[in-house]
Amino acid sequence: MSASTSHHYTTTGLDSRKIGIWTFIGSECMLFITLISTYLIYKGRSLVGPFPHEVWKDPSTGHVFHSILNIPVTSFSTFVLLMSSLAMVLALAAVENRSVPKRTLGDKILGSSKLWIFVTALLGTVFLSCQAYEFTSFVHEGLTIHTNLFGSSFFTLTGFHGAHVTVGVLWLLSLLVIDFKRGLNESDVLHVDIMALYWHFVDVVWIAIFTLVYLIK
Amino acid sequence: MTGSPRLRRFASLGAYAALALALAACAQKFPNTTFEPHSEYGRAIDFLWNRLLFFGTGVFVLVEAALLFVVFKFRRRDETTTPPQTHGNTKLEILWTLIPAVILVFIAVPTVRTIFETQAKAAPNALEIDVYGHQWWWEFQYPEYKITTANEIYVPKGRTVNFVLRTKDVLHSFWIPQLAGKRDLIANHTNYLWFTPDTSAPTTVWNGFCTEYCGSSHANMRFRVVTVTPEEFANWVTRQQSPAAFGAVPATPPATAIVTPAVATSATTAPVTPAVATAATAATAATTAAPAAPIATEPPGWVLPHEQVPAYAVPQTPIPAGVDFNDKLVGDPARGMALFTGAGTCNGCHTIAGNPAAVGNIGPNLTHVGSRIAIGGGLYKNDAYHLARWVKNARVMKPGNIMTTLGKGQFDPQMKLTTPGGLTDQQIADLVAYLQALK
Amino acid sequence: MATTVFTPGTDVQHDVPKPFVPSPAPATVVKHKGGFWSWVATTDHKRIGTLYLFTALFFFIVGGLEAEVIRAQLGGPNRHLVSAELYNQIFTMHGTTMVFLAIMPLSAAFFNFLIPLQIGARDVAFPRLNAFSYWVYLFGGIFITAPIFFNMAPNGGWFAYVPLTTRAYSPGHNLDVWVIGIQILGISSLAAAVNFITTIINLRAPGMTLMRMPIFTWMSFVVQFLIVLAFPVITVGVFFLMMDRFFGTQFYEVAAGADPLLWQHLFWIFGHPEVYILILPAFGLVSEVLPTFSKKPLFGYPVMVYSGIVIGFLGFGVWAHHMFAVGMGPIADSVFGLTTMLIAIPTGVKIFNWIGTLAQGQVKYSTACLFAVGLVALFTCGGISGVMHSSPPADLQQTDSYFVVAHFHYVLFGGSIMGIFSGIYYYFPKLFGRMMNETLGKVHFWINFVAMNLTFFPMHFSGMLGMPRRIYTYDAGQGWDTFNAMSTGGAYLLVVATSIFLFNFFRSMKKGKPAGPNPWGAATLEWTIPSPPPNYNFATIPTVTSRYPLWEGREADIESARINQQGGKTAQQLGIVLPYNTIKPLLVALSMTIMFMGLMFNYWVIGAGAAAVAIFLYAWLASPLEPEHH
Repeated sequence: MSASTSHHYTTTGLDSRKIGIWTFIGSECMLFITLISTYLIYKGRSLVGPFPHEVWKDPSTGHVFHSILNIPVTSFSTFVLLMSSLAMVLALAAVENRSVPKRTLGDKILGSSKLWIFVTALLGTVFLSCQAYEFTSFVHEGLTIHTNLFGSSFFTLTGFHGAHVTVGVLWLLSLLVIDFKRGLNESDVLHVDIMALYWHFVDVVWIAIFTLVYLIK
Repeated sequence: MTGSPRLRRFASLGAYAALALALAACAQKFPNTTFEPHSEYGRAIDFLWNRLLFFGTGVFVLVEAALLFVVFKFRRRDETTTPPQTHGNTKLEILWTLIPAVILVFIAVPTVRTIFETQAKAAPNALEIDVYGHQWWWEFQYPEYKITTANEIYVPKGRTVNFVLRTKDVLHSFWIPQLAGKRDLIANHTNYLWFTPDTSAPTTVWNGFCTEYCGSSHANMRFRVVTVTPEEFANWVTRQQSPAAFGAVPATPPATAIVTPAVATSATTAPVTPAVATAATAATAATTAAPAAPIATEPPGWVLPHEQVPAYAVPQTPIPAGVDFNDKLVGDPARGMALFTGAGTCNGCHTIAGNPAAVGNIGPNLTHVGSRIAIGGGLYKNDAYHLARWVKNARVMKPGNIMTTLGKGQFDPQMKLTTPGGLTDQQIADLVAYLQALK
Repeated sequence: MATTVFTPGTDVQHDVPKPFVPSPAPATVVKHKGGFWSWVATTDHKRIGTLYLFTALFFFIVGGLEAEVIRAQLGGPNRHLVSAELYNQIFTMHGTTMVFLAIMPLSAAFFNFLIPLQIGARDVAFPRLNAFSYWVYLFGGIFITAPIFFNMAPNGGWFAYVPLTTRAYSPGHNLDVWVIGIQILGISSLAAAVNFITTIINLRAPGMTLMRMPIFTWMSFVVQFLIVLAFPVITVGVFFLMMDRFFGTQFYEVAAGADPLLWQHLFWIFGHPEVYILILPAFGLVSEVLPTFSKKPLFGYPVMVYSGIVIGFLGFGVWAHHMFAVGMGPIADSVFGLTTMLIAIPTGVKIFNWIGTLAQGQVKYSTACLFAVGLVALFTCGGISGVMHSSPPADLQQTDSYFVVAHFHYVLFGGSIMGIFSGIYYYFPKLFGRMMNETLGKVHFWINFVAMNLTFFPMHFSGMLGMPRRIYTYDAGQGWDTFNAMSTGGAYLLVVATSIFLFNFFRSMKKGKPAGPNPWGAATLEWTIPSPPPNYNFATIPTVTSRYPLWEGREADIESARINQQGGKTAQQLGIVLPYNTIKPLLVALSMTIMFMGLMFNYWVIGAGAAAVAIFLYAWLASPLEPEHH
């Protein structure tokens, strides 16, 4: 992010980049709403399996596919992503309160932006690893993006989400590098704030996906 | 600044009325008009249209008159006068919000009523016609009569016809402007369009069009609808149910009798002499047995005589450059029949009922192609001249055509090469004679 | 206020601006330093707007020539000027070009150039993102247009219905070009929308509340929200088609049970707001022009704002009126029929308010004003035929026939294009510091008005008399010959009209009479600064106390206007810091285009393009927007 700060006059008193990211998130909402809607429209309309919540026997080979979604594993990865949002909140607080003196070890831990940015990125990576594991196991079990309507819409939806998480992780890592190089200070609060906004958004989208795709039959 | 706004308004209304009258009177000149309904569906739409036109014209005239009035009256007279700095008028705003809303109610109510009326389930005794859209021709089946035909249908006046619309490939749309609104053919969907042709409608041919862009020859995907009396329809059914006239191998009688409606009087045709049953009844590859003796070219039943087909229903599509043919050649239908399942390989795509080797189902059913008004998906006039060139190079005759270029030395625009082998003009003439015999 | 900064003598003029009085013309026009680099690396919204204008005019000509081929082919029955395949490419490109490469960017030219000036800002919120939007548009436009020279132009219609556009039925590269091109162009619009929403929310001059904003900025504001919410939907829909075509997914594969209507819904959920995106800016321009030349305020400003917002909302609720023939069922048909009728109300209200603006005025029919009145007259016609479409049973005769073609050309040509021409004649002096020739302008208007009606009015008839759409030819004896001949004649006349306009435009750039800050005696902030504006726009950011600063503003408004209209100072002299010129947005745009193109040619190209995007994007984000200052 450019080093210049905007001390320019603004009508709302907010930095323009804040408004910009909210607008961008508005468009991203529509993106995911469309992806999720397509998934829901095609739910139950695949002509061949495997299916998300039912068993299917392939009439030509006789192979039996069990319901392909793995709720326990995905519940874990959802939990991980939720915890990453908590870490993000702590990271932002740490940057905002950089100048507050930290007395106890607990304060120092809570106040370490490097730690919490790292934890956020780490948890995000764990989430992505779970996704990767899930996708590869689906492929081994016979569900690819080409297999049926479910496969196409499922992988595209979760793939888009995963791509957003990936972008977020890379962004977090670049923040971490800046923190190590020169330290994040008050002038970076906006940057970290915007990062947090993006990260929480990606988390909320996942909650919607998890509910509508995994939990609801 | 000529004339008063009121005079202008009446003049516009008068012009519209005159135009409408002129159009209504000229149905002959406008064979695909939507302003002359011939079914209850058409009349329902026409009622809405007239109401829309009434209000639309009224609003148009009033608004344009107001605009013209204001434009002329408030021209700048001098540079020093400052006009009153009106910012708005709440009463006016409310008025000109509510009045259009009220007008719209007069449109909305009959609209919703017509929607539900026309989209109710078709009457159970309606004549079902299954429509299958193909790139770029129309397949029609009458399940009630076990008829399969292409690009031309007959419907009896006074009986509800229910078109069941499906597509075999991309999206198409089924439109007979003079009879009803249109309905799309959507893959993985079945749509329905039903209406009852008026008993008072003339016995004539109506043009039909594909109205959903479907690729190269979307413009060339046309069909014909013939409204006839119930008796004429019954006779047409008889014709369609009969196997092909020329060289037909009589089929074993069907398990269930085909019910044909009672025939009051019908034009008598020469009695059909069934072809001599040959041993080659099995649908094997091209038969080498001698073709069956030719039978009378008019099978039982009836089609609309060519003299009664109106000019607008007979295509005038010119032959594209590059497809020449020696029209002096005389074709032999017996040789043509052999070629159909032989060198021509036509039976790979086409069905001719009564010819057991011709059971292809990629292209249109040709059982009675000889008596159709048009060929090539309603594109060319059905005569030897056009049919010969169609067979010779169907891909130049119709862009994108799936039917191959058959003529020797003809350029195939899709494969971009000249066919090394292929049919000679004489062979084509024979095929054409055969096809023309299939009345 | 530091009035001692300004020294008389070097300034153009410094009379106190009076309401309705045009500023006197200066003797000479200030020439800004040009040079290729200053254009290629610009982040100045005025330059970017100028780039949009020229590029969009170019594509308007391209789309117009495509239309001329269409009309030449359809002028009579059974013509074969072009083959069916080429015709299908041409009509597809005509629609695609006019919607995405001509009208939207012409509106964008005005957004770019005008919005900061109207709200009293020095630039948009994200100047480099602004440049990026333009370059993406340019490269995307070239990418989607050039293939026609290789017989590879998109040929599925501008709406690209599946399954025709799936790989199975369109195996060539034509539709690959379309899906990639549309994605690229979508990114341009989306980035610009984020930019303008932020700009309008956050960079208004002190005192300019939302209800004091010029009406063009208001309409543009609504448009940006439409873009932000509608473009992602088509992005996803086209992404599905892209995945199907390139990677074998099943989104639109009939054999897998897919529903072709999914494409139609996604396309039209975008497509209907898109048409409001196309018309609202023109409405905004007309709402600026009519008050100026009537010498009175816009009639019903709040209603004009609210009706614009309502149109924006309702615009998302009518999309399936493009699908009345697909068999959605009576309930869906009825609902969408009713919402479509409903949206006629706020639209009609605008027409009445424009008439109300002219009424009681002292109206001068400059060319800009003529085009504005032309929009009011012609859009009324198009709006009425639109209401005719709103009744689904009646629409079953009208849809997919030439009646629809008549309708949308009345609203797009008679509406959008007329409004844009009005805006061009009106804002040309501000942009170039010179006046366009009024006589040529009036000739342009009248020939255009006659030609437009001659071209499109007969289409109402050919449609209702049974002529389908999107056909490359038609048979004789169908009753359509005369109407088509009239339409073709009108189309040829449009070439004459447009040529006159282009001649006037380019000649006036060099030889037009010099224009002062306010040649029309208008009211809003953009007319308080020199023509063309200095790169910093406003020497002093004005404080706004009224909707019409130059007509109804108080002492402070007039004083800041008096200061701002003086030219001759550089930003440095005034202590104003402006963003750096930078080529990084261009480089990101180019890399991104190449990355997308890799889909068609070589997957390594995708990787290389993505890497280049990452590198140049990082460089962009890591470098400062403007010099350090306090």
